[in-house]
Amino acid sequence: MRDKLIAGWALFRKSNWLLTAVVAALLLLGVLFVYSACYISEEHEVKPLYLKQLLWVAMGAFCYVSFAIMDFHQLKKYMWGIYVGSLALLVMVLLFGQTIYGARRWLLFFGNLISIQPSEFAKLSTIVLLAGRLGDPGVQVHRPAEIVRTLLLMALPAGLIMMQPDLGTAMVFVPASLVLMFVAGVPFRYVGGLVGAGVCMVAFVLTTMYLPAKLGAGEPLQERIASMSGLTDYQRGRIEVFFNPAKDPLGAGWNKRQSEIAVGSGGLRGKGYLRGIQNILGFLPRSVAPTDFIYSVIAEETGFMGSVVVLLLFSSVITLGMLIALRTLDPFGRLLCAGVTVMFFFHVFINVAMTVGLMPITGIPLPLLSYGGSFMIVMMSSLGIMQSVYIRCDRRASYQ
Amino acid sequence: MSTRERTDVIHLRIRLLLTGMLLAFGLLCIHLWRIQVLRSSEFSSSLDRQSIRRVRLPGIRGRIFDRAGRCLADNQPQYCLAIYTEELRQRGRWSRTIDKVDEVVNEMSQILGIPRQVTKDDIAQHVQRRLPLPFLAWRGLDERALARWAENDRRVPGVDVYVEPVRVYPFGASAAHVIGYVGRSNPSASTEDNPYHYYLPEMEGKGGVEKTADGRLRGRAGGRLIRVDASGFKHDETGDLQPNSGQDVRLTLDIEVQGMAEEILGERLGAVVVLDPRNGDVLALASTPRFDVTALQSQKAWQALLADTRRPLMNRAIAGQYPPGSIFKPLVALTALISGRVNSSTVISCTGVHTIGRHEINCWSKRGHGDLSMRKALEQSCNPFFIECGLRSEYRRLYHMADSVGFGRRTGIELEGEATGLLPDDEWKRRERRDAWRPGDTANVSIGQGALLVTPLQMAMFTGALANGGGVYRPRLWHGEVQRGELLQQMAWGAEDLDLVRGGMHDVIHAETGTGKRALVDGVVMAGKTGTAQYGNGLKHAWMILFAPFESPRYAVAMVVENAVSGGITVAPLMRELMQRILIRDGVLLPVPGEPGGMDLELIEGEADAG
Repeated sequence: MRDKLIAGWALFRKSNWLLTAVVAALLLLGVLFVYSACYISEEHEVKPLYLKQLLWVAMGAFCYVSFAIMDFHQLKKYMWGIYVGSLALLVMVLLFGQTIYGARRWLLFFGNLISIQPSEFAKLSTIVLLAGRLGDPGVQVHRPAEIVRTLLLMALPAGLIMMQPDLGTAMVFVPASLVLMFVAGVPFRYVGGLVGAGVCMVAFVLTTMYLPAKLGAGEPLQERIASMSGLTDYQRGRIEVFFNPAKDPLGAGWNKRQSEIAVGSGGLRGKGYLRGIQNILGFLPRSVAPTDFIYSVIAEETGFMGSVVVLLLFSSVITLGMLIALRTLDPFGRLLCAGVTVMFFFHVFINVAMTVGLMPITGIPLPLLSYGGSFMIVMMSSLGIMQSVYIRCDRRASYQ
Repeated sequence: MSTRERTDVIHLRIRLLLTGMLLAFGLLCIHLWRIQVLRSSEFSSSLDRQSIRRVRLPGIRGRIFDRAGRCLADNQPQYCLAIYTEELRQRGRWSRTIDKVDEVVNEMSQILGIPRQVTKDDIAQHVQRRLPLPFLAWRGLDERALARWAENDRRVPGVDVYVEPVRVYPFGASAAHVIGYVGRSNPSASTEDNPYHYYLPEMEGKGGVEKTADGRLRGRAGGRLIRVDASGFKHDETGDLQPNSGQDVRLTLDIEVQGMAEEILGERLGAVVVLDPRNGDVLALASTPRFDVTALQSQKAWQALLADTRRPLMNRAIAGQYPPGSIFKPLVALTALISGRVNSSTVISCTGVHTIGRHEINCWSKRGHGDLSMRKALEQSCNPFFIECGLRSEYRRLYHMADSVGFGRRTGIELEGEATGLLPDDEWKRRERRDAWRPGDTANVSIGQGALLVTPLQMAMFTGALANGGGVYRPRLWHGEVQRGELLQQMAWGAEDLDLVRGGMHDVIHAETGTGKRALVDGVVMAGKTGTAQYGNGLKHAWMILFAPFESPRYAVAMVVENAVSGGITVAPLMRELMQRILIRDGVLLPVPGEPGGMDLELIEGEADAG
């Protein structure tokens, strides 16, 4: 027992304190602003959301510590199991999932007591698996066959998520896996080629959808050419709204404008905590203010200065993550760190860009700040893995 | 590549990635600076709040025209005063917001000088259920109230004029059963809980053509986003979604003929169907009592209509099922002639009663008609003659003929609620009455009685077939696309047989002793058949079918009046007035000066029962 305590203390001392501090600060902000977004609400379920958020924080912290204590090499043993398990959950959600706002994203257990979002878990399990494979010295990452295999492993969960349908979440998988290949040392021509191919594919789809109209082709011809893209009407409709929110100005466009006003009216210094009138008096739907639009609450109440501080905190997490990847000699650990960090980055970037009106609205939450259990647990576990890599793979340790 | 070099490459890549990510965050910071600092005056902090208001741009519903292009259903703008309750949201409990809205309503009531139209409960319901939608506090503002609103320079936050199209029916209650009416559609449960969804209540056809042509008529509403501040000032407009108007629909209906038919039916319960026998165009489809859609705004009027025992909402022309009585006889005659069991020279004697087994069926003429041939029998509507025809030609032939011309099934007119009528057969009788088909049943059907039920529209369709030489056209309401009607069935009626039956029907009106002589219009040759169907205890439905002009028919008419004396006495004079007015309008007849369309209703002994 005493030995264990000593070992624990040693781990604690070896851990990256700055990372823990920054994460703790972000978590605290999250709870505070979830409270701010919800305290005015009279709905039973919404008002005490910050208390539930505290619970998620506690569970997240537990995961963070657990993964930090656990040797990340253990993950390599279970990575296939985790991956297949999360795929199974994704299939289950398609079969039995709870439909909310037209998409099946939630799995309910024990009545409504526990609801989980399998797509969140799939993000992490895919990163772990890809890191495990690409970081394996036995795997020849420069061979095209291996690249195809990697892409397939990525495409499986992404495809299942796209069927929910949740295009936004599915899209996260693409840059994450490309970055993993990049960091794994896949020759630049392949990574660049894949990026190029992706860009070309998107360009092709968009061309078939928009070019004929631009050239003044008639309706039937437009329709014929658009059908060449191989997408159904429904899918094309989704893409159209994604790239052109003016198609749905009264729905998604309205949210975007409201969010912009909330952010803009914050000014340099903000209106003060709990005084964000735009958000509190609520033009944003109550259901998205504490989740996808938490950043607009922060931006309104704390102004430019606060918004930048939050961005700086996120930057610190990302910088720390990449620094850990740099100092780690273990390729698996390095890939884990890089993958997790890039996933973290994409969520922050897409969410903030959407809040400030730079990007179309997609259902991507803000790590550590947005309300939500599954995502919190996944993010904290990822950061715990990052910490675990830091603790075990510094340069000195590797020479021992 | 050595491990060392390889690691260097990877480190370089990680650094590149980190730099890229930090640059991306830098970009976000720059954008934040732009909107939070440089453009913050736009979202000026001196005003404590702003909002994006969603304004609805209604999609205009298509209009409905009659065949001559007269508008039967139109749209008119109705000015409403909308309160955007979202912009009046108060801190704290919802009840404070509700109070605030209530306050605004009172204030507006004073400014406009008009009484409140909504209660506090309405407000509470709206705030709780449909906060993002404009709350229409006043509908149908008149010009004075609008002028007061415009003059009032003090802006009231969250209040604006809102234009809503309302459906108007220029011909009032005329053809209300055909045109139908509209109502607000209900939001489906699945879209209601979507926070991104902005539900716009649409006008939706609830009856008649408004319902069956809803897909074409319905417009799609658009909308516009307007940035407003707390003082109600509109900053800019963005995000237009252009509304789409619905398509107009043109009907085959002739609203003039329709109006005449309705006027002539007046307060009686009944129906008139006027078809064009050449293509099945429905020129008139009248059903009384009528109902006035524009007077139907209140729940109370609705309840009264639904509770009315005369069932004014039912379209008797297509949904009324009546025993046809003697107007079914032309069909029996044709069957018998075609079967060859009866021909033009066949003579059957009428003693005033026909006995089948132990049952006796009386002729309306108690003394009997004596010896009759087909043409005379039709003119006289002799029951024993047609019972004999029916029995001789066998029921299966009669059934087949009636089935071929469309009895016992829907005609397929573009309206909802059409009835099938009932064409009984052995199978039906075994199922419903647990008994076999007997000669007595054949006898009953042969004179249009028994279980047989028809709708006025079916009768008119059959009359049209008699008029045009055997073509059964589907009655159609949509005007246009194809000039030729949709031929459901071309009956193989021999010219001689048909001429004989048409001759008999000619005599019905033109002979001195014809049962339908009161329908005679001077100056035009017509053919028809009257009918009086008994149901229940001595109650009678009176019928007449008619086509005109005799040589080249343009009109096939069926008219039924419930609880009447007889076809010859009740309906024939009505038919005369209708045809007279139609033909005068067409210019075929000259208007008769001093002719009030009068009809003599004196009862002639013995004719009261004339079928």
